[in-house]
Amino acid sequence: MVFSSLIFLYGFLPLCLISYSAASSVRSRNFVLLIFSLLFYAWGEPKRIVFLLLSVVVNYLCGLAAGGKKQPLRKPAVAVSLIFNIGMIGVFKYSGFLMENINAIFGTHFPVPHIVQLIGISFYTFQVMSYVIDCYWEKTVPQRSFLKFLLYVSLFPQLIAGPIVRYSTIAEEIDHRTTTLSDLSKGLNRFVIGLAKKVVLADQLFRIVDAFFGSTPEKLTVLGTWYAVIVYSLYIYFDFSGYSDMAIGLGLIFGFHINENFEHPFLCKDITEFWQRWHISLGSFFRDYLLPLPVFGIRNKYLSLALVWLCTGIWHGAHWNYIIWGLYYGAFILLETKIGRKRMRKIPLVLRHLYNKLVIIIGFGIFYFEDTAQLGTFLRNLTFFNPNGFFSYAEQMSLYNNLFLIIAAVICTFPLLKLPEMLKKKYGRSEALVSAAGTVCTTGLLVLSSILLVDATTKAFLYFRF
Amino acid sequence: MNREQVMAKLTEIFRDVFDDDSIVLHDSTSAKDIEDWDSLEHINLIGAVERHFRMRFTMKEVSGMKNVGEMADILCERAGK
Repeated sequence: MVFSSLIFLYGFLPLCLISYSAASSVRSRNFVLLIFSLLFYAWGEPKRIVFLLLSVVVNYLCGLAAGGKKQPLRKPAVAVSLIFNIGMIGVFKYSGFLMENINAIFGTHFPVPHIVQLIGISFYTFQVMSYVIDCYWEKTVPQRSFLKFLLYVSLFPQLIAGPIVRYSTIAEEIDHRTTTLSDLSKGLNRFVIGLAKKVVLADQLFRIVDAFFGSTPEKLTVLGTWYAVIVYSLYIYFDFSGYSDMAIGLGLIFGFHINENFEHPFLCKDITEFWQRWHISLGSFFRDYLLPLPVFGIRNKYLSLALVWLCTGIWHGAHWNYIIWGLYYGAFILLETKIGRKRMRKIPLVLRHLYNKLVIIIGFGIFYFEDTAQLGTFLRNLTFFNPNGFFSYAEQMSLYNNLFLIIAAVICTFPLLKLPEMLKKKYGRSEALVSAAGTVCTTGLLVLSSILLVDATTKAFLYFRF
Repeated sequence: MNREQVMAKLTEIFRDVFDDDSIVLHDSTSAKDIEDWDSLEHINLIGAVERHFRMRFTMKEVSGMKNVGEMADILCERAGK
């Protein structure tokens, strides 16, 4: 099921909220959330829940053993968990890609498996791996209740496309939580803002991207290619951060405080900072669990950097462009490391912004084109080697027709939600006035999003496929 | 090697890794106090400490160290074994 669908907004969510409110104890509320979470995941394709449950059972047992008192079992439990989880992702996500490449390199003709990828596998698998490792490292106490552990993994706000929530973040709240009026209000606002990011901005921006990149990207002009890839960069930000906003908002509604996943990434001053602001939960996973790993038995920041960015690329998908994309970012972070922070700061801010925006935008182009031949054409078309000219009439018309949408999207990349607080402080506006204005805006965005949803076919979030 | 000697050696290593002779270490010194001490430089620092003290930190230790004091504690504990 998709958050940005009428069935979710006006069927699933109200029903879940009513049942949740009717339950009096945390225990019964957990049960309600668990049932709705499993229903959410099973919606449309019930068979996939079997693999989720299998993963939960294996990692529940591994967590108990890894964090248990029987010393001989601790390490093997982590090993079993890692082999199982990486194996699961390997089979469901990468087996086809691996076989295709083996056939291409060695000239063999092994059958290429076409396994349907399980939605959200990369997210929940990383969650359970972090849980088992944290149990082993004694950073968290293993959860003894199977149902509570199942709730942690399957909690529907974050199950399908993150953020990758660490068990320690919500462990306390699984046992004891209350939803305050403030949390409920913040949660609802945050959810609607995320919904609007997805439906009002991302889905509309995607129409432009699809019109240009979706059919004949090789025929785009220089400016047309830049136009399409800039719009795609905005699209991917609003699509993914919109989902994260909805997840965080839903979490708050049910009393869970999930960590932020985006901190206005386009405001970054360099690429290193971009990755401290973009998909934070994935970056912190690799920082905590992969970066300290000695590569070939050696602790060296360059080898670790290469490993982390190779894995970041691979995590995003089973295509070469994602691997190129990951290593591309690794190369720029290496460059910034070599230059050093002090020297980076001496570069004029305008140049730093220009540099990182160029890298980010071209990076998203690499991210888009899974076909490496098309990727090559895209990179050529960004330059004056493009044989299609500078700017076509169709591209100009698209830009004029969508100028308002694009300007609105660019403005929304800034931290607009800090405005009410600023207004309160600077002009002494009353809490009630700011709160009333906020409610009007949220209601307006909900109505607008609903109207757009009635008129559109539901588009899944891009990160569902990861 | 006592704790003071460990801290003195660590100071040398920190100054070398971060290329800053003004670094003075205390138990509470953490990544917040040294500008270039980020997660990536932490790996180089750990590598340098391991080479100097001829020991190997576990993944848990590398990931969990909060400050220089904790690093020194681990080194003293290993030296005592």
